[in-house]
Amino acid sequence: MLTIPPLMDDGFAGEPAKRVLQYMQAHKAKGDPIVGIYCGYAPIELIQAMGLVPAVLCAFSKVPIPAAETVLPANLCPLIKSSFGFIIEGTCPFYAMSQAVIAETTCDGKKKMFELIADIKPTHVMDLPQVPDQREALPNWKQMILRLQEFLEKTFDRKADENKIEASLQAANRRNALMQKIFDYAALRPSALHWSEMYDVGFLALPATGAEMAPRLEALLERLEKRVRDGLHFGRPDAPRVLVTGCPVGGDATKIFKVIEAAGGAVVAPDACTGMKAFAGTFQENSGDPIGAMAERYLKIPCACMTPNERRLTDLSIMIDRFKPDAVIDVVLQACHAYNIESHKVGRHVQEAHGLPFLKVEIDYSEGDIGQLRTRVEALFESI
Amino acid sequence: MSEDYRLMWKNLGLNLEAHDMLLGVLGNAYKDIYLSQKERPEGMAYFDFVMSEVHGLRIKELLDEKAAGRKIVGAYCVFVPEEIVLAANATLVGLCSGADFAIEEVEKLLPRNTCALIKSAFGFKLGKVCPYLESADMIVGENTCDGKKKAYETLGQLVSNLYVMDLPQVKTQNGRALLKAEYFQFKAAVEKLTGKAITADSLKAAIQTVNAKRKAIHRLSALRQADPAPISGLDALLANQVFFYDNPARFTASVNKICDELEKRVEEKKGAFPARTPRLLISGCPQAVPNWKLPFIIETSGAVIVGEESCVGERGTRNLTAETGNTVETMMEAIVDRYFQVDCAIFTPNPDRLAHIEQMAAQYKADGVIHYGLQFCQPYLMEAIPVEKALEKKNIPCLRIETDYSMEDAGQLKTRIEAFIEQIKG
Amino acid sequence: MAHRFAGIDIGSRTIELVVVNQSGQAIHTLKADTGFDPMAEAKQMIGAVVYEGIMATGYGRNLFEIAFEAPTVTEIKAHARGARAFFPEALNVLDIGGQDSKAIALSDNGKVKKFEMNDRCAAGTGKFLEIMARTLGYAIEQFGNEALLAEQETTISSMCTVFAESEVTSLIAKGQDRREIALGVHASVMRRVAAMLQRVAPEGDIVFTGGVANNACLRALLAQKLGRRILYAPQAQFAGALGAALLALEAA
Repeated sequence: MLTIPPLMDDGFAGEPAKRVLQYMQAHKAKGDPIVGIYCGYAPIELIQAMGLVPAVLCAFSKVPIPAAETVLPANLCPLIKSSFGFIIEGTCPFYAMSQAVIAETTCDGKKKMFELIADIKPTHVMDLPQVPDQREALPNWKQMILRLQEFLEKTFDRKADENKIEASLQAANRRNALMQKIFDYAALRPSALHWSEMYDVGFLALPATGAEMAPRLEALLERLEKRVRDGLHFGRPDAPRVLVTGCPVGGDATKIFKVIEAAGGAVVAPDACTGMKAFAGTFQENSGDPIGAMAERYLKIPCACMTPNERRLTDLSIMIDRFKPDAVIDVVLQACHAYNIESHKVGRHVQEAHGLPFLKVEIDYSEGDIGQLRTRVEALFESI
Repeated sequence: MSEDYRLMWKNLGLNLEAHDMLLGVLGNAYKDIYLSQKERPEGMAYFDFVMSEVHGLRIKELLDEKAAGRKIVGAYCVFVPEEIVLAANATLVGLCSGADFAIEEVEKLLPRNTCALIKSAFGFKLGKVCPYLESADMIVGENTCDGKKKAYETLGQLVSNLYVMDLPQVKTQNGRALLKAEYFQFKAAVEKLTGKAITADSLKAAIQTVNAKRKAIHRLSALRQADPAPISGLDALLANQVFFYDNPARFTASVNKICDELEKRVEEKKGAFPARTPRLLISGCPQAVPNWKLPFIIETSGAVIVGEESCVGERGTRNLTAETGNTVETMMEAIVDRYFQVDCAIFTPNPDRLAHIEQMAAQYKADGVIHYGLQFCQPYLMEAIPVEKALEKKNIPCLRIETDYSMEDAGQLKTRIEAFIEQIKG
Repeated sequence: MAHRFAGIDIGSRTIELVVVNQSGQAIHTLKADTGFDPMAEAKQMIGAVVYEGIMATGYGRNLFEIAFEAPTVTEIKAHARGARAFFPEALNVLDIGGQDSKAIALSDNGKVKKFEMNDRCAAGTGKFLEIMARTLGYAIEQFGNEALLAEQETTISSMCTVFAESEVTSLIAKGQDRREIALGVHASVMRRVAAMLQRVAPEGDIVFTGGVANNACLRALLAQKLGRRILYAPQAQFAGALGAALLALEAA
């Protein structure tokens, strides 16, 4: 296994955050302003079209959580506690670089947390619809993107250009298509792509522009093709394949991936905003209304903050057909009500529509539950 | 009489055994908490009667209304506009959500760390013990907090008549437009349910009926400014709770009657507690029947509650709907305006609530504020942080409480509340 | 008989009784385990001393109030008063008792300005330490000193007592050093308590009262984490009873 050279052999393999930091620093040195984002609903293509660089802010380490707990209620999800702790402790380099922060009204915890940090940096809150299929949702969301555009124009004293936005969407489409081709290697049986490599690529592909990424991704695809030709793959060929859905998983939360591997499984499909969800869907090109096209694509993200979130189930089905997992694990970050409650529906769908074993795990960023997680994951594998 | 009720409950599909148990517990709690109070206004006898018949006579009345062709709409939240329901010839009732029930069944569908109020709503359905829910022709859910929003998706599988209303989260023009669109859709849905179109006349009458109810509560609240407070917080809370169940006109008359009595009490300086009893304002999550835990602990620890900044309280009843409109359209606009002011913590940002808490503390001459958060209710627990800060700036002592419906922590809560009262007394 | 006033602190683990003379000097201190019948125990204790008036505090104060018609005060006010008796300038008080922990901020005149108590779970209380000591096979009196001998800390991440207990058990099974686990247990309590202190009483010296104040490890960890002085009197466990006795004297 270890004999497979890392896909991104740039000295940052397995450390996607460091790679992205280097990317940000390079842009900062060029004088490009940086905008902090927290969520998959932040319209990155608009930010990029305006010559700004989106930076995903720190939210995945357990280290700042005790500091956050001196202010926040303990019954809050670790992602929010971590984000807040990073800010009050001043330990997130991306936040330090950012000249503005984009927030969304996704869940209650985040929404209210943003109120607490709104006075530290210019923070723009986008009012995200909760019922995406309702008539008002799309026009409202489009308007929110326009509102963001105004905010960015004012904050950074520059104008957005419709042609550049259109170009940005097209580049993103190209990048997303290439990302899908990369994910196809995870869909192979046995899988030729490791989850940590998906993270290596994905964490950079998200903030980098489509134009920057396309050549790099093409090179990676060649490497992957060679890997397959050489007969290289990860894990035992008969390792149980796992699709991991649910809350974002990064940093300390990736313990769940490690537990799955330690139990003999292979993570072939990390769904979630930190995984493949960020590169799903396409923007309608040359629509004459690039902001509208952007709104449409973003509103299709099947986050549990949406209701009723049937799209999550249809997307999940497509993913199951494509990656052919042997089991589905739903990761719920502790106190994330939306994903936690929705898990009931997801579990039923996975079991009834696909006949797959399903496990919901409620985790935080600590290591205390690793032993117990391992037992549960092993029991899941035994049921396959 | 009570045999008739049993048949009625059975016909509604209630689980009689479980329901008997619930009524037994409720009756005992009411006796211990309410009837043990001293110096109660005589007019509270009406509410004692209402509570003794809350699953009896009131349900029979609703069923009689149904038999006469009226429809019953059940709701969980103050964002469901009663004006629209009444104008379409239907009756709005609050649905049960103030006690733990069938917890094991509930936790098969909902995570354990869901707030007690949501779990309770499920418990009453799964345990088949809420005659209001079973009488309702339409159940209205609303996208307020994450917990409710997602739980309604599951509730929709348990009941056939759930209608979910979306709500804005930000008080912008877009937010208002969304609320307006939702209210018009709701209007159409209720009209469809009842088969009666809302007219300018019916809407006007409905607005007046609901406003009268609110004005009666305003009158009651204003009387609580007196020292000694002429009515206990428990009794005032009960009036605010019954607001959601009772026949509106009868409720208004009964509250006004109590107010007449309280006015005399104020003149005579007669109080539910002695003069200069420490006065507390409760702020935060709603307290639905029979969730009397916190006020009971407070008022048996030497303080009196003089106001509730809550949906079951002033947040829910504060504003009137303008009665000046003459067309359905203008009155609907007035309704949207009225409800859009409700300062629930689901809104971001929500500065009005902070201002209202300060204003209420001053108005009711509160010596301190107890912020009441239901465990796992993130909007209110998070908002407690700025609330406490703002109050501290004004030198108003604030105690943050996070609890649920169980009595496990009653001893600990009592200690904290007593210490808070000591702190206020200095 | 000179004027003497008593204070009795009926906690979940122990009962303390203090009698003060007219100048507020403690002249008797008694301590007993709460046991299964706290009122019988209390009765025996108060029978052994002479006083003019008594005030009760602690978890069992309301039972005492009914049984002996005595006035009561909460542990918060009693500990605040007791802490001031030990350290007249005290502005910040931390009390960790059997099942509660409290952070209290005082005004210059000694009145309670703000306080916070742990929520219903036992994490961050004496009970938590006691359960962990037992799991690790230490006597509670030595638990802190043993932990101090550890060279490094084994992180205990579970906040909940039940989970922490199984976490500790599995660490023992893995062959982790007992003292290092013990230090981890102390650090977990410290973090919980430190967060509370930072919210309620963010600066200045802290007077540590209650039985757990005798734990040298916790004192050291707190001082290190907060960068503030942790003051403690050897009689820290009697702070509640002393405070109640003084409040009885002052009310007379």
